[in-house]
Amino acid sequence: MNRWARVLNRDSFERQLDAELRFHVDEETDRLVADGVPRGEARRIAMATFGGIEPIKEATRDVHPMRWLDDLGRDLRYAGRSMRRHPAFTAAAILSLAIGVGANTAIFGVLNALLIRPLAVAAPRELAYIRRVGPAADRQRTSATTRFSYAALQRYGAAMHDAQGSLAAMSSVVRMQLVAGNHADEGAELILGQLVTGDWFTVLQVAPQAGRILTPIDDAAIGGQPVAVVSDAYWTRRFARDPSVIGSTLRVNGYPVTVVGVAAPQFDGFIVGDPVDVWLPTGLQQQVHYASNADITDADASKPWREQEGVAWLTPVVRVPSSLRGTATAAVDVAFRRDVEARAAKIANPEQRAFVLQTHAALGDGSRGLSSLREEFGSAVVVLMATVALVLLVACANLANLLMARGAARSREFAVRLSLGAQRGRLIRQLLTESLTLALIGGMASLLLAEAGSEALLRMASDGPAPLLLDVSFSWPLVAFAILVSIVTGVLFGLMPALRFSRADVNDAIKSGGRAVTASGGSAIGRLLVVAQVALSFALLVGALLFVRTLHNLLTIDPGFEPVHLVTARFDPRMAGYTAKTMAALRERLLDAARAIPGAHSAAVAMCGTLANCHSVSDIDVPGRQRGIGDDADVQEDFVNAAYFPALGMTFVAGRNFSESDTPQTARVAIVNEAMARHFYGDVNPIGRVFTEGQKFEIVGVVRDSRINGLRETPPRMAFYPYSQNPEVPMRNVYVRFTGDGRLAAQQLRSAVRQADRAIAVREVVTLAELEERSVARERLVSTLTGTFGLLAVAVSCLGLYAMVSYSIAGRTNEIGIRLALGASPASVRWLVLRETLALVAVGIAAGIATTIPTLRLVETLLYGLSASDPFTFACAIATLSTVAIIAGLGPAWRASRVDPSTALRID
Amino acid sequence: MATTDRSDVLQGTLDMLILKTLEAAPLHGYAIAQSINRVSRALLQVPQGSLYPALHRLENKGLLASEWTETESGRDAKVYRLTKKGRARLEAEVADWRRISEAIALILRSSTA
Repeated sequence: MNRWARVLNRDSFERQLDAELRFHVDEETDRLVADGVPRGEARRIAMATFGGIEPIKEATRDVHPMRWLDDLGRDLRYAGRSMRRHPAFTAAAILSLAIGVGANTAIFGVLNALLIRPLAVAAPRELAYIRRVGPAADRQRTSATTRFSYAALQRYGAAMHDAQGSLAAMSSVVRMQLVAGNHADEGAELILGQLVTGDWFTVLQVAPQAGRILTPIDDAAIGGQPVAVVSDAYWTRRFARDPSVIGSTLRVNGYPVTVVGVAAPQFDGFIVGDPVDVWLPTGLQQQVHYASNADITDADASKPWREQEGVAWLTPVVRVPSSLRGTATAAVDVAFRRDVEARAAKIANPEQRAFVLQTHAALGDGSRGLSSLREEFGSAVVVLMATVALVLLVACANLANLLMARGAARSREFAVRLSLGAQRGRLIRQLLTESLTLALIGGMASLLLAEAGSEALLRMASDGPAPLLLDVSFSWPLVAFAILVSIVTGVLFGLMPALRFSRADVNDAIKSGGRAVTASGGSAIGRLLVVAQVALSFALLVGALLFVRTLHNLLTIDPGFEPVHLVTARFDPRMAGYTAKTMAALRERLLDAARAIPGAHSAAVAMCGTLANCHSVSDIDVPGRQRGIGDDADVQEDFVNAAYFPALGMTFVAGRNFSESDTPQTARVAIVNEAMARHFYGDVNPIGRVFTEGQKFEIVGVVRDSRINGLRETPPRMAFYPYSQNPEVPMRNVYVRFTGDGRLAAQQLRSAVRQADRAIAVREVVTLAELEERSVARERLVSTLTGTFGLLAVAVSCLGLYAMVSYSIAGRTNEIGIRLALGASPASVRWLVLRETLALVAVGIAAGIATTIPTLRLVETLLYGLSASDPFTFACAIATLSTVAIIAGLGPAWRASRVDPSTALRID
Repeated sequence: MATTDRSDVLQGTLDMLILKTLEAAPLHGYAIAQSINRVSRALLQVPQGSLYPALHRLENKGLLASEWTETESGRDAKVYRLTKKGRARLEAEVADWRRISEAIALILRSSTA
């Protein structure tokens, strides 16, 4: 018979097989009857010489190649029946798997987008970015080590060209104020824009899907072609994919540019987490008022940046075949070293010169782009991935235990089938089909949760009102991940019970009517599962406690300013076309409008401000002080008005505040913080001292240190300069200290800014307390999730422990009955049971400690104010788990002590 | 299980016996078993039922073909016959067997001499 016909005709095959074997037995019986054997006896002998119908059928089915398909169908039907028969178990299993796999897939979605997924360009592995390496570079923020001047790019580009590579460059991705069409500045929106060199899209191999990409001609001259390329996402979001947008005008920060094309779908730039809406040529730097993220030395920031060697603001991205990567690195380093040596020659201090001379250029892997988000959240996401994976393992162990308990009732069925000739492999396969079916149903359900979970995670992790801009939407890698995790889960929780029951001792099981295996919960496998659960939940609990205490440490830190009842509006007037000449007038209007808010005590303005992710850092010279190596001479700077310090609640420890008498005509003054005074002046009173940064500044006051860069970062050395002496400097933050309702104050501040000029697009209005909260967003995310999952794991393990001890007691009713009959006190029986529980927990905790301590060292960088092996945390975790264990053990212990000896002994 | 632990040699022998038995005429399973038993009870010490997995395997390989026919006892029986391929295989196996047994006989003769 044809194989497929046989598979489709399974019933007919079974009927034929049955008829064929029956025929044999019938003929043999007839022969024996003819020989004079009584019919009943003849049939018995015929069956015996045949060797058993069922095993032979089994062996015959086995020789057919499509056997597994039959089996699968049968196993699936069997699994379905078994799942319907135990609806509570089925629901619990599917639900816990859906949540467990869903949490894993959700976090994997973020992990994939942040850490794994390559850029949506052709051959992403060929991409790299140039960065500085060496002791001097190591002290800088990573983003600063990838910034170079335009002139330097030209030299490195030539070197790359000789090494058969190509080079393009990009600025940071910054917010830009954009108006579509040529009408007035109404309805300005903030978008993410980036300046790129003319060959950017050519080097990245991104094609236009409409119009054209930028060309070197667009970026040939400073102030060159006013053109822009928009991203697919922005084209969809803002223009509903209208092709007529090509050729239309956008006003970017007030400057009109023509849209020439739409980039290929999926491509949203080189910086993961900063999806670009609009790309502009670097030649437009002045025209669109691009003035962020640059290292400026001996240069004039108000002149075009492209022509100045002293402005490092572009990140070079290169494409070079992997085989030529080494040659290309060497070529770039040679060109880079010429610059380093030229700079070092100007340094007088030999120690510092040697320090600078250790700097080299290297190529960083660009296949996944660059990302500050990756640096900030990468390790946190890995920790969360590990956490949910462990929780899933705990859930697996629990399901395995439940299956064992349920399987105990079925062990008789298995024993009978084994004795009827079923093969062990068949039974294992059948049980695994059941657990895999459960797991896959759970996995499918998990996909419904995963995307929402990923998005929730991005909202929680965000340091702003919008979620992190990562694409975590449905994709095949995620589905593949969910299926893979489901299969692994199904095998994990199904295999142990399957192995155990397919080995059931045939005679024992049949004779004692299934009771022999009732104690399976107390078997070695059951114990192992419980110990594993305890160990895993111990690790999770320790991790959770460490992160919760980290968050607590950060939240109880004194920030050095008074965040309550303080609201700020953030914007950039340069985007609305304000220049050095018009800035002072706008400032007065803003301050007047802000002061007029009902309930406002004071109104302040600042260039960088507090907790605003703005770092303006300069080297200063202090007369008579020998400058050390590295960042020894750095100070972080800000421009503020006199009201800033009282408004923020920053108190003076010495000297005076700025005053009306500090004007552009009087001597330049500065206020510094304690960290700055301590670093540059030691114990000497800094008031009246002078330092140089371009020009001379006299220190007139010292304020307390404050955590301007976020709660985690130690207070930087600060120097504040007054707007009264620098009226041309823009202000990007307005602060109002108020009494009353925060939401109302925020609304009023927003309209105050609009009142000053409606063309200014406000990025956000937010209280300082919210900003403070956001600066610990990562810690809150990690502590909330690890805390939740840690508690979940402990609860699940507690249930597992309870079930295990209960089964163990049920199997030992006899023994306990005998003990009681022989005069053991109920208390001693209770202790017996409790001791068993505690022993399991102790072993689990010991295993947990042994595995946790080396692993936790990896999360040390995420902690604050305590070490990964913090003894108090471990003590807390041990105490919690022991308490939980005692609670789990009390019930079974109590029941054991109430066993009636006569009933217990009568059972057998 | 006895049916799966059977050694390859025994399985090979059983296959050859089945093919040889069917050389003269088509037979049903029971008749094959009786015939093999007549030739040598010692060779088929495994349960008689073990014949059937072997028959199905040979049928799957295309060495045997089968059809259902009514026997003289009035029962439906599945009757197996040798295919062309089966006949060729039997000839090859018999030739092989002869060669090996002659070689063994030669060795035994020379060592006793």
